[in-house]
Amino acid sequence: MEKKQSELCLKILRRFHKAGILDDLILIGSWCIYFYKEYFSNISYIDQTTIRTRDIDFLIDKPAKLKHTVNIPELLKDLGFVTIFKGREGYLKLDHPDLMLEFLVPEKGKGTDKPVPLTKLGMNAVALRFLSLLTENIIKIKVEDFNISVPHPVNFALHKLIIFQRRLKEDKAAKDRNAAIEILRALITKGEAVTIKQVFNSMIPKWQKKVIKGLEEAKEKDILSMLIRK
Amino acid sequence: MRGVIKGVLAEELENSLRMQKEYSGALKKLPKGCLAVRKIRGHEYYYLVKRINDKVKYIYKGKISEEEKKQYEEAKELRAKYRKLLSQVKKQIRFLRSSLRGKEAI
Repeated sequence: MEKKQSELCLKILRRFHKAGILDDLILIGSWCIYFYKEYFSNISYIDQTTIRTRDIDFLIDKPAKLKHTVNIPELLKDLGFVTIFKGREGYLKLDHPDLMLEFLVPEKGKGTDKPVPLTKLGMNAVALRFLSLLTENIIKIKVEDFNISVPHPVNFALHKLIIFQRRLKEDKAAKDRNAAIEILRALITKGEAVTIKQVFNSMIPKWQKKVIKGLEEAKEKDILSMLIRK
Repeated sequence: MRGVIKGVLAEELENSLRMQKEYSGALKKLPKGCLAVRKIRGHEYYYLVKRINDKVKYIYKGKISEEEKKQYEEAKELRAKYRKLLSQVKKQIRFLRSSLRGKEAI
């Protein structure tokens, strides 16, 4: 299953690269953990492949500035992806037994329940809070002959620490919390404690409080004391 | 609280059940039958072969456009793909249901 998933994921990335849209997309969600393997190649890092869901999420920071016009449902149709409408508002999702693809955009202003149209891609996107944290610090990871954009692991982990508290399902919250803590520990082992502190300090106080609350809930006293130390 | 793994599996079961419906629906939407060609005195004549009430019927279509031919070819390929994926989804459902049967919180 995992091998099939990774192969399909690579096929999608190759097609997006060939169509010229990969540079406009940021890979987020649990697939980042898989690709962080390269970032953490010099330390022991266990990606949580065993409990990864089939969701593959792409974040678009500035949907209005998309350069290329590509009909994504058509682009992936022959791989067996079917387009589905989710919820009453009609969010578009592409489903395959191995992967489920969705697009997200950072929520601006008051926010909306309605999907954000991505007319150039023949899709729409879900606008979610806190996603701007993932767009602030992007790293490129080399995959075959192209690069993919993923959030810096620090931003990824701090974002997870905020959102796990908003999860309605306890098991999903635990999954997010564990991922965040594992990545933060790996970063500290890699000697990036300073980066964690820098990113934390650059966050707005309201979000900093949420991170602190998340670490308190996770009972991670060491990481917490490192962050609040002056 | 159920364990993290069970939570993920339950979510995946929901997804697979939804996909089963989607692929069944997508298969129904595809045009029925496939094209058969017969060459008579150097000319190609097409027939649409499909099952009607358990009997295989050849419906005469005559000479058809390249575009129509392409449509039927695409539908044939997609049908094979969707059937394969549907059977994969059914296997996933069986696996996930059996995994979730246990009472331990994992």
